[in-house]
Amino acid sequence: MPGMTLWIAFALLTVAAALAVLVPLARGRRGHAPAAAHDAEVYRAQLDEIERDLDRGLVSEEAATAARTEIARRLLAASREAEASGAADAATGTKDKADAAASLPGSPARRGASGLLQVAVVIAIPAAALFTYLALGSPDLADQPLSARLEDTQQNRSMAALVAKVEQHLADNPNDGRGWDVLAPVYMRLGRTGDAVVAYRNAIRLVGSDERRETDLGEALVILAEGIVTAEARAAFDRAVALDPKAVKPRFFLALALGQENRKDEAITAWKALLAEAKGGEAWVEAVRMEMAKLGAEVPPSPALPGPDREAMAAAAEMSASDRAEMIRGMVDQLDTRLSAEGGTAEEWMRLMRALAVMGDGPRLREVKDRALVALKDDPVAQAKLRGLAEELGIGS
Amino acid sequence: MIVEIGHYALILALILSLVQSVLPVWGAVTGNDRMMAVAPPVSGMMFLFVGISFAALTMAYATSDFSVLNVVENSHSAKPFLYKLTGVWGNHEGSMLLWVLILVLFGALVAAFGRNIPTELRAATLGVQGMVSFAFLLFLLVTSNPFLRLSPAPMEGNDLNPILQDVGLAIHPPLLYVGYVGFSITFSFAAAALILGRVDAAWARWVRPWTLLAWMFLTLGIAMGSYWAYYELGWGGYWFWDPVENASLMPWLSGTALLHSAIVLEKRGALKVWTVLLAILTFSLSLLGTFLVRSGVLTSVHAFATDPMRGTFILGILTIFVGGSLALYAWRAPLLKQGGLFAPVSREGALVLNNLLLTVSAVAVFVGTLYPLALEVVGGEKISVGPPFFNLTFGPLMVPLLIAMPFGPLLAWKRGDLYAVSQRLYAALGLALAATLLVAWLQGVDRILAALGFGLGIWVIAGAAAEILSRARFAQVGLSTGLRRLVGLPGAAWGAALGHIGIGVTVLGLVAATAFQVEKVVTIRPGESVTVADNTLTFGGLARRTGPNYIDDVGHFDILKGGVKVAETDPAKRLYTARKMPTTEAGIVTFGFSQVYVSIGEVHDDGGADIRVYHKPLVTLIWLGCLVMAFGGALSLFDRRLRVGAPKPARQRMVPAE
Repeated sequence: MPGMTLWIAFALLTVAAALAVLVPLARGRRGHAPAAAHDAEVYRAQLDEIERDLDRGLVSEEAATAARTEIARRLLAASREAEASGAADAATGTKDKADAAASLPGSPARRGASGLLQVAVVIAIPAAALFTYLALGSPDLADQPLSARLEDTQQNRSMAALVAKVEQHLADNPNDGRGWDVLAPVYMRLGRTGDAVVAYRNAIRLVGSDERRETDLGEALVILAEGIVTAEARAAFDRAVALDPKAVKPRFFLALALGQENRKDEAITAWKALLAEAKGGEAWVEAVRMEMAKLGAEVPPSPALPGPDREAMAAAAEMSASDRAEMIRGMVDQLDTRLSAEGGTAEEWMRLMRALAVMGDGPRLREVKDRALVALKDDPVAQAKLRGLAEELGIGS
Repeated sequence: MIVEIGHYALILALILSLVQSVLPVWGAVTGNDRMMAVAPPVSGMMFLFVGISFAALTMAYATSDFSVLNVVENSHSAKPFLYKLTGVWGNHEGSMLLWVLILVLFGALVAAFGRNIPTELRAATLGVQGMVSFAFLLFLLVTSNPFLRLSPAPMEGNDLNPILQDVGLAIHPPLLYVGYVGFSITFSFAAAALILGRVDAAWARWVRPWTLLAWMFLTLGIAMGSYWAYYELGWGGYWFWDPVENASLMPWLSGTALLHSAIVLEKRGALKVWTVLLAILTFSLSLLGTFLVRSGVLTSVHAFATDPMRGTFILGILTIFVGGSLALYAWRAPLLKQGGLFAPVSREGALVLNNLLLTVSAVAVFVGTLYPLALEVVGGEKISVGPPFFNLTFGPLMVPLLIAMPFGPLLAWKRGDLYAVSQRLYAALGLALAATLLVAWLQGVDRILAALGFGLGIWVIAGAAAEILSRARFAQVGLSTGLRRLVGLPGAAWGAALGHIGIGVTVLGLVAATAFQVEKVVTIRPGESVTVADNTLTFGGLARRTGPNYIDDVGHFDILKGGVKVAETDPAKRLYTARKMPTTEAGIVTFGFSQVYVSIGEVHDDGGADIRVYHKPLVTLIWLGCLVMAFGGALSLFDRRLRVGAPKPARQRMVPAE
């Protein structure tokens, strides 16, 4: 019981404090030399010193004599005073003795004064200490050294603790690029964008530049600049595009940058190029259309095909819950049929799987996954993506 | 648990200090032996408790216990271990705890080693020390409690002010505090003497070693702080007449005066009243320094927190102790017997002159430091009193002091012979003149003031050397006996000589580094060079380096003399990531006693940088001189003459009669 130990420790300290006052108070009176006796002692030391100086020839004979005379005079005065006060002391001592004889040792009157003081000490010291401590202290809070907290499994689950752990590891091994690479997106999710920028930079410096890291770094910088694509962010996106000219995200931000710099025509061209590559249904398409509208460009109609069209969505919003489920089921079936018959991209298969997961149709989800894996067996990248999604949806392997 | 034990121990110390303030003083006044006997064990116990408390806080810092508010505010898990420890006193609460620790340490030392101090004096002294301790423990617990807890505890701390993450911080404040706070014990001695109404030979004997101890540490602390500012702030300056620096200089000046007047009191029984007053003033100035630094009246590196409550509290402590002790002085000082007459030209006379000049210079610093503050309070006008003021006031006061310095130790007590003394200083005078002429010839006659300053430094050194050599009497007794005599001289004699030599050495450093420094501020690109004095610095470019909790932009310089590479240095511009705070890490290379100093300013995109380069001739002498002074203090402290025996009790206590 750590709480108990704490109070025992307090008790021991308190006893020590009280004893430091009690013991000298309780112990019998010891006589002490009067102050003048100390003076005499100092003068005697000074006389010795003169002799030593004289022996070593540091002072002349006549200087020594003069000094000796003066100190001796003071010594005499001090000794006389010491004797006088000693005598006075002895007189009071005799009086004490008389007192002591009159009132026997241990008599209430004699014990009274010092006894009262002792009782006061015994009560007052612990009481005052306890009173003050209870007002200020936190007796129920245990020590929490950081290393112990990081090992503690209870705390381990919290994201902050994990981050702290990785941070500690990185503090010791600042050149562990993989560590920075793992930490950076976590920082982003925690909203610690500034730290994320540093982490991405370190990861790029240590592990190497690739499209994803450069893009993420750029994105973090944009968030840090509250939506402005700064020169530094642009440079990151440029590097990303140089590494992978097909990458959408960096080009998206580059187009955004053009818009922000008021290079309207170039921006619109860039947006158009992006839209032309869209298969439809991508999250960014809508954003692109909005940006184009902001620039005053003619927004091309949303590409036909996959995904429910606007009217269908609007209709769904007005339906009752069961009707809506029915409609979604119909659309899912439609997609499934099409994919089974004509085949499709990994993204389309994944859309289907997500929809099934949302509907909570586990068995069918597994079955679709297997079919998708078969359908895309020649495409290892697609296979990996599907397996990743399966993992995410809790139907891995 | 450890944290809470530390907290509780601090509270117990507070309560014991209250007991200590009352019982022993009462006992000393009424002659009650039992009450007086309480003082030594309680002093020891208070030191133990504050020590436990300090250890507990240190433990919390070492293990990054972020359930302690103070640790959260001033530490960070990524901080190097050494700075986690120094972080304990790198903040307001922790540094006040250190303050109190040293306060009770001095009480405990007097309790342990003061057996030969008269009983009443010791009890009253420890009692007054208890009062000071009580005031500061109360201040600590009420306004600056370092043991406040947080629940739930955050996972990370806020880091320590980067400028304070430095080895200098590990040493500077503890040294300075031992000095500052050490004067509390001389204050307690003085107040005790006033309470008891007697200043006797034993008082004079036992005050001096404690003054010496505090003075030594204060000297080292000031020197350390000055060197730290020199290499950390990146301006190449070592003394800024900053109020915080002045706050440590004032007690040093009056403490030095006290050291000297205590000699007169000890040897001749004169200057009693004055010495008591100096002891009070010195600690009052220490308290004033604490108030200036802690209250946030001044905004600088040293003001950790600006909190009106704390400022008011310290002002209260200041008023009570300074006002109280001065009132006590006014009331009791007339009781003190004067003694020891002397002629104006005598050792005593010289020491009085010393005291006069040191005190007036302390007043000059006091005015220069507080006048702007007072003006701001009264009229709201903000003025700054800079180096010009101090150069005009403090400087001229130091010159006669330095000129007179070699005469003092050579003069005889009571009646001195100035002419005879002058004769023994001919050699020193010759050396000083030669040095002046040499410097004037080397540096040009237009630098005559600097040359004179240099000569003054040599005069002080040679004068002190002449004094110690004349004591050995080589001329009369021959070389071997003379050497034996020299070694056999008492520690106090060597201490005095080294103390004076140290001052001379520091003066040389100050004059040379101020008058003959070469400074250049240039923008430099990789491959380019800059020349200061006979040093050519070639810039090798900048590189980025990552430290545990900072990022460095490190510049590389090769230093060439006459075309030959003799050294290299890597000054840096450092960014502490947790607080996003930049610092400069100057590159300093020492050649003999001189230094080349490089610091990096703005960094340009093309790899170039703005840099400041200095050549500072003999600059290290400034701090070496302080070391010599402190060493002299140590020699004097361990002088075997200090071991005066304690008298035996007047008589054995008799057992109660029948």
